[in-house]
Amino acid sequence: MLTVLSHYLDSVRQNLRLDRSSESEVIRELETHIEDEFQELQEAGLSEEAAADTCLTLLGSAKLIARQIYEAHSQGSWTQALLAAMPHLLFGLLFALNWWRGIGWLLGMLVLVLSLAVYGWWRGKPAWLFPWLGYSLLPVVAAGLLLLYLPEGWSWVAIVIYIPLALWLLYSITVKTMKRDWLYTSLMLLPVPTIIGWFLAVEPVNQFPEYWLQRMQDFAPWIGLTFLALGVTVATFIRVRQRWLRVSVLVMSGLLTLTIVAYYTEGRLSMPAFLILIVVMLLLLLSPALVERTLRHTGQQ
Amino acid sequence: MAQRRELMKGSIDSLLLCLIGQQPMYGYQIIKELERRSQGYFKFKEGTLYPALHRLEKAGLLGGRWQALPNGRQRRYYHLTEKGLRNLVTKTNQWLDFLVAMNLIIQPASD
Repeated sequence: MLTVLSHYLDSVRQNLRLDRSSESEVIRELETHIEDEFQELQEAGLSEEAAADTCLTLLGSAKLIARQIYEAHSQGSWTQALLAAMPHLLFGLLFALNWWRGIGWLLGMLVLVLSLAVYGWWRGKPAWLFPWLGYSLLPVVAAGLLLLYLPEGWSWVAIVIYIPLALWLLYSITVKTMKRDWLYTSLMLLPVPTIIGWFLAVEPVNQFPEYWLQRMQDFAPWIGLTFLALGVTVATFIRVRQRWLRVSVLVMSGLLTLTIVAYYTEGRLSMPAFLILIVVMLLLLLSPALVERTLRHTGQQ
Repeated sequence: MAQRRELMKGSIDSLLLCLIGQQPMYGYQIIKELERRSQGYFKFKEGTLYPALHRLEKAGLLGGRWQALPNGRQRRYYHLTEKGLRNLVTKTNQWLDFLVAMNLIIQPASD
């Protein structure tokens, strides 16, 4: 196939953002179409170059085709939407029903999250996987933070061994997710600003554990509410087709949940902290697009 | 031309279901067949065909299957599903009603 036609197919592939098997089916189908058209045009007496040019003109913009095919494939079923929303809903219920202090519930949740994350990863990374994947990485981060509080002289274990390993794991999972579609990275990171918001509102630093556990208890219904809102966001994300709508849904939910945190903690989250959190939220949700672009640019070079 | 494109946009699903309902076809064949049967009236921007086919397939109205041609090349043939057939019957009836009503207005019977 001529280079110009191969470039056209590469351009479609780069903008499709589908799972690998659907992507190769689409490209193969377009390739066979181009072959037929190219051959027919050449048989009609056109030169190679003229036939290739005509082929591309008749097909139209590669980006437009990729976007339209993405929209044809992107909408998940209601089952997938529910499955994707489930970790947020379960996390929300954990707080709304005050089960978060029960070690059994927490362990059950941990096992469920890890099992589904591993299952989804090996089943071709369907869209419902990414919220589960986000929660499965939380214990990795939490364990790193806890290791820093080890008795004097032992924190080097965390700094030298655990933290580099954990960072490598987070990095490789994030990059692999980004290669599939940067929007899934945003979906994975969606609860992070809300968790940071509640963490700051509870202020666990330099206080007795009982003190901040009591505060968590006070905020528990509202913490539950924010996670239920995230669950609704994820279900909506899975059901809408257009990328711009998906981005809007994520950003709006980030604003909504942070506003809930600020409102119900009655001033515990200062205005500067609230504004900084909004910036952090925008950076977390939108920066994967820039990183993905850089990765692709590097890959092409 | 723009008006014709708008008309086609609204009827592309019906055209595809109708054509594929008569015999399974692959993308390039569909474009050529539509053009031939409509005597050049239905001329697609070819790239827009595949998103429409995939949308109909995702909706369960069409099925797709790779098949080898006698020359050894592989093509993805689309066929109508049961659901697609029911949808086609409904759409065909709607079109026929629409055409009859349009004709009654455009060419009124002289009393």
